[in-house]
Order: sequence, then structure tokens, then C-alpha cells
Amino acid sequence: MISFQRRSGSSLGWNVVCYSAAISGALLASAVLLRLSGGDPARAFTALIVGAFGSQGALLGSLAKATPLLLVGLGTVFAFRAKIWNIGQEGQVFAGAMAAYWVSFWIAPLPGWLAVCTLALAGMAGGGVLGLLAGALKTRFGTSEIISTVMLNYVVMYLLAYLLDGGPWMATGVTVSYHQSPPIDPSLEWPILLAVGAGKLHVGFLFALAASAFAAVLLDKTSLGYEIRAFGSNPTALTFRGTNVRRLLLTVMLMSGALAGLAGAGELFGVSHRLRAETLLGIGSSGIVVAMVGGLRPSGVMIAALFFGALESGTIYMRLKSGTPAGLVSAMEGLVLLFFLSAAVATRLQIVRREVHA
Amino acid sequence: MLELLQGPLLISLLAAMVRIATPLLFSAMGELVTQRAGIWNIAVEGTMLIGAIVAYMVASTTGSPWLALAIAILACAASSLIMSFVTIVLKAEQFVAGLALNLLASGVTLFWFQAYIGGREAPTFIGFDQVPIPYLSDIPILGPVLFSQRLLTYVSFLVPILVWFFLYRTKYGLEVRCVGENPKALDVKGLHVGLRQCLAIMFGSMMSGFGGAFLMLGYSDKFVPDLIAGRGWLVVVAIIAGNWMPFRIVGAIFIFAFLEALGIHAQVVGIPVPHQLFLVLPYVASLVLLAGLRSRTHQPVALGIPYNRE
Repeated sequence: MISFQRRSGSSLGWNVVCYSAAISGALLASAVLLRLSGGDPARAFTALIVGAFGSQGALLGSLAKATPLLLVGLGTVFAFRAKIWNIGQEGQVFAGAMAAYWVSFWIAPLPGWLAVCTLALAGMAGGGVLGLLAGALKTRFGTSEIISTVMLNYVVMYLLAYLLDGGPWMATGVTVSYHQSPPIDPSLEWPILLAVGAGKLHVGFLFALAASAFAAVLLDKTSLGYEIRAFGSNPTALTFRGTNVRRLLLTVMLMSGALAGLAGAGELFGVSHRLRAETLLGIGSSGIVVAMVGGLRPSGVMIAALFFGALESGTIYMRLKSGTPAGLVSAMEGLVLLFFLSAAVATRLQIVRREVHA
Repeated sequence: MLELLQGPLLISLLAAMVRIATPLLFSAMGELVTQRAGIWNIAVEGTMLIGAIVAYMVASTTGSPWLALAIAILACAASSLIMSFVTIVLKAEQFVAGLALNLLASGVTLFWFQAYIGGREAPTFIGFDQVPIPYLSDIPILGPVLFSQRLLTYVSFLVPILVWFFLYRTKYGLEVRCVGENPKALDVKGLHVGLRQCLAIMFGSMMSGFGGAFLMLGYSDKFVPDLIAGRGWLVVVAIIAGNWMPFRIVGAIFIFAFLEALGIHAQVVGIPVPHQLFLVLPYVASLVLLAGLRSRTHQPVALGIPYNRE
């Protein structure tokens, strides 16, 4: 008789089997989805891969798309490792871009690098404050952060909608309203590190790399990192140890929101150069997927961010070449996440063969 | 603001409130049963979206809103099996499974919608029309507010009563509540915990899909990707704010619906305030409600905890 049993340790080989099966399963399910809607999976996936990795420019484009996902993903890791379910990344990305945009009115005379850092800090402050607000609602009123962060997403999005449509940040002088701000001061655009053809990589990529190193060290080597992990598994024990759990929760929400806010600022000053809802939409939720698929570990999140960044970057080419709707990528994100969730459970099991005595 | 409270406008405001609240009643009562069975399914938003897109595709292809409603509900029953598999069989974190399902639903619906319209103008359909009840609809104020609605709106008035009756007056309802409070007790009696949770998830998903499909078929003639716009989350808020009790949940939903109706009417009357301020009211109100109503006395004890024998 064959049955499953909880595994005591973890086995690298079995992990590889489970996660490879998850990737294959998700790709297969996406292909079925494509086939069902009358598309040609082989053509679409080929176009997707060429669009993501086919040239140096495409590769840079993928890295650029991976940048905000990595930042949001790392922020999510802090929260989820502590089992604090911050799912307000979407709003925190918006808040970061909005705060940085607001600050940009005041800092024109600052020299290059100082301006970049100020805008990055402003973005982190914007996202961080929104995260902190949800954290405070939890510590003060016991409001579930799952709910409050989602509700705050809507609040922030409607605030931006107002500011860009009839509000003070609306672009003027255009006959048709595009619900966007006027372009930012060109001297404030973030420097481009590398550019090949249409592929451009801005300085935010370095911030994301630095944040990855910071997150890895913080989680594994510091007492705050220990407390974050302990908060997730046994908050009561942490209280007995003398940790101020309220302050810990607020710190985690602040850091989590700040990284999402930095992603928003980077997209605004490094890529779009205008404040628009459409360019920011979806970064938060994709970042959550990246964090989960990356196994809530900074190194895993880097790989996952690259994978999903490539997916998003390849989409444009895929739509041109094979006419596949761009929505496929969001569907694939959901599928990959579900398959990885199942695989994560499977890695903790082992197959045992038992003798059945008659 | 005062002109909103006069005669015809007030009636229109209240009628809008009833119109907005009723699709949510289906979703909320379904989710209540799921949660009473101890499953913290936050995928209401995604399930409503699946119900809406399936209803849209069937209605605009066949022209039959009733067929569209039936198939949408079946599709949501099928999608609930994913949630059941991940939470009951694999015993993964329920919140995470729900989050995944929400993301999958928003992705799949966007993809289906784009693939379905394929570059042409999105096709429209004729949905449910108003069916005034004879005589009752002639009553002043109450008539136009309550009895000049769609057929399914009248059905939705009965849903909370039926769900209340099921939960508190039937053997099966008792078993569902027991699964959420003390699954071990049920297991010891030889009753299958997982099966009951699976059915509770399926019922919840079907009702969520019902709500989403009704929202699509009753009030719109074509799909837009942000059709549900957070209403599934408001349903979850209403359940917490209503302390897991059917009629309090109905109250919370009517508060959200009233605020949304107020927003629509404020735009019509032309009150010189940005209209986004009114659109955001239900979400702000939900935060205030949750901060204010902190009683969790009826929250199922085993809510969100996967049941493990041993």
C-alpha cells in the first residue's frame, strides 16, 4: 500500500521534482487555456520567450520589469514571514509614486544623485505610511490587516483618480483627458544604467539588488529577522521573551509598505515619467505572487521576479506576433501560484510503501 | 445635500440602495455558510468575477439570461473544487489559497474577456428587466423602493431567511456550525468533516457566483474587467462587521449599498464635491465599521484552521 507521510527533514531532490512538476503543470494549464480560446500555444509561448530573452534589448526589458516586482516581493516576504497578511501592495505602490511625485515639486535645485535618493526616500515614506496605517488599525482596533489593506487600496486608487481627473495634478492643455499628470521635470528622471534599443534599465534596479541583500541579511542574521520569523510561528512565545509585538508588527508593516512604495517611485521616475494609474496597476498583486512563488526567501524572490518580469516583458511581443491577449500573463501568474502552493505542500510529504498484512 | 431627502429623489435613492444591496446578499449568505463551516474563503471577489464573466459570455452568445445565470453558477461550483482541494486535501493556508484564487480569477477573466471579444466591439446582451409586483408596487414609497425591482431581487429578500433557517433550525445546519466550532466532535461521531466543508465551500461559491452573475445580468449590458470593483471584499467585511449572524450581515450590506446609492445620486444632483469622494465612501465606511464593531463573539472557533485528525 502506498501512502503519504509528513517528511521530517527536506530533500533537495524531492523539492526539485515537486517544483518542476508545478512549473510544468502551470505551463500545461496555460496552454490548455490558450487552446480553449482558439489560440496556438506553441506560437504564443515561442513569441513570449523571444520577446523576453531574444535580444540584449529584450533582456534589459525583462530586468526592468523585474525591478518593481522584486521590490514589492521583498516587502511581501517581510510581512508574510511574520504571518502578517499585508495584501495592500497595490495601494502602497500607488502611494509611493504619489508621495515621490508630490516631493518632486520641491526638489528641482538638488544635484542629480541627491534628488534620486530624496525621491526614493519619499516613495518609501509614502508606501510605508500606508502600511503603517493598516498596522495601526490592527494594533489599535484589532482590524484584520487582510481587510484593511485591501480597503486602503481602493481609498488610495480613488484619491489618485481624483488628483488626475479634475484634481490639481491633472495634465492641462490637452483636449482629451488621459487621466495622467504632466511629465515630470526631465532633470529629475532617474539615470539609465544600460540601454539597448527599446530596452532600458534604470537605477532603481540597483536599489532592488541592494534591497535583496539587505533583506537576506536582515532575515537571517539579525535579531529583528529572528523576531519576524518567530512572530510568524509563535507570537505568544515572543511576548514572553519580552518583545514588544505591537512595535514589531508596525515595523514590519512599515518596511513592507516602504519597499512597495520604492517600487512605485521607481516606475514613475525611471520608466513612465508621468503619474498614471495604468502604469502602476498590477505591480502590487504580481509582487505578492513573486514573493509566494519565491518561497518567501530573498534568493527565491529574485529568481521569481526575473521569471515574472520576463513574462510581462515578453507579452508585448507575444501580442504583436501571435495576437494572444495580454491577459494571458495575469492568468498564468494565478496558475503558477496555485501550482506552487500545492507543490509547497507536497515537498513536506514523502511517499511511503507499507507492507499490508492480511 | 438636503435635496436628496425630498420626495422622488429619496425614493430613487432608496430604490438604488435595494438594487445595489441585493446581488451582495446572495454572495454574503453563501460566504456566511462557508465561514460557519470553518473555511476562511476570501476568494469571494474572484468567484463573483468568474460568475460575471461566464454569465456575460453565455448571455451575449445565446441571448438567454436564465441560461447564463445557471451556467455561471455551475462554473463557480466547479471552480470551488480548486479551493476545496487546496484547503481540505492539501490543508494549505486558507487565506493564501483564497488570495491565489482571486489572482487566478482576475487573470483568467481578463484573458477570457480579451480572447472572447478578440478586437471587435464588446457585444451587448439584454439582461433581466424590472418586474413590478401587481398591487404591492402601487403602495406609496414602499412600492417603488421594494416591489418594482427585478425578479431575483425578490428572491434575494428570502435568502437570508432561508440561510438562517438552514443554519439554526436544521440538522445539516447544526452540523455545518459544528464543523466550524468543533470539528473533532463531529469526527468522533463518525461524520465526515472534509465532505461537509467541501459542500459548504461549493455552496458559498455558487452563491457568490450567483451574486456576480446577477450584478452582470441585472444592471449592465456588457462586461468590464473591474465590474465587481471590490464588492466581494465588502461582502467579507459585512460578515465580520455582522459578527457572523445573518441579519446583522444584511444590515451591514445595506449600509454599504446606501452609501453607494448616495454617491450616485450626489453626482446626479450635482453637489460640487469630487465624485470620487462618494465612490470611496463604502470602503472608508468598512474601515470605520470594522474599527467600531469589534465584537467577534460569533466568529467560528475553528475558522481558518485546517482540520487534522490525530
